[in-house]
Amino acid sequence: MNDSQPVFVPVILGTVRQGRMSEHVANFVLGELAKRPGVETELIDIRRISLPVNNAGEDIKDTQFSATCNRADGFVIVAPEYNHGYPGLLKHVLDTNLKEYIHKAVGIVGVSAGPFGGTRVIQGLLPVMRELGLVTIFWDGNFSQVQKAFDPSGNLLDQAYHRRLEKFISELIWMSTVLRYGRENVPAQ
Amino acid sequence: MRDEKKKMKCPDCGVEMNHHADKVDYSAALKDPKIMDPDLGGVVEEFHTCPECGKTHSRKAT
Repeated sequence: MNDSQPVFVPVILGTVRQGRMSEHVANFVLGELAKRPGVETELIDIRRISLPVNNAGEDIKDTQFSATCNRADGFVIVAPEYNHGYPGLLKHVLDTNLKEYIHKAVGIVGVSAGPFGGTRVIQGLLPVMRELGLVTIFWDGNFSQVQKAFDPSGNLLDQAYHRRLEKFISELIWMSTVLRYGRENVPAQ
Repeated sequence: MRDEKKKMKCPDCGVEMNHHADKVDYSAALKDPKIMDPDLGGVVEEFHTCPECGKTHSRKAT
């Protein structure tokens, strides 16, 4: 393992909806990750990944998204809760990869307009993460009443979110680092 | 540790890769039933990561 190489943890913005508040959340998480030494990150906006909707899965893999996921050591998925579930296009995008995810860490940030911080979308995504070969951490990000957490320009109004995300990010970096070592050095039994 | 068959070499940097995971691919067997493992109901896919560049590649188990 090349210890000098930073862990790469991109943030996936998991909605294409116009006026999406999750974009503010994703940018905020991106900024918090970027502050950490030894961490490299970038935003993956699923709106920018053009996929057909008359096919699905690895047959419609996007070359750039695949390469970014292959390079990643971990992921943050920022997912709004739509009708108690995850956005369909997020699943459509995630399903285009498989080997790119195996034994990599993932943390989920749920976003909702209501009071529950996207807990239902997180619960819905957990079995999907498992089947994709990702390893979930036991901290989540929860943004309740997101319309009150940011101003229209995306500036954070509730500073408590800095502390709320601290442990989530620390745990994700730890898991990403450990799993990278495992992928590169520990053989399957 | 199980016996390793021929180590996979990283297509990008030529280094021997670490085989760290297996997963059953059920859809591969739909395309070609002859390659299905009858006990597992699909095809075992091996996942290998390069300790040099960190990239993961996969191959069908044989």
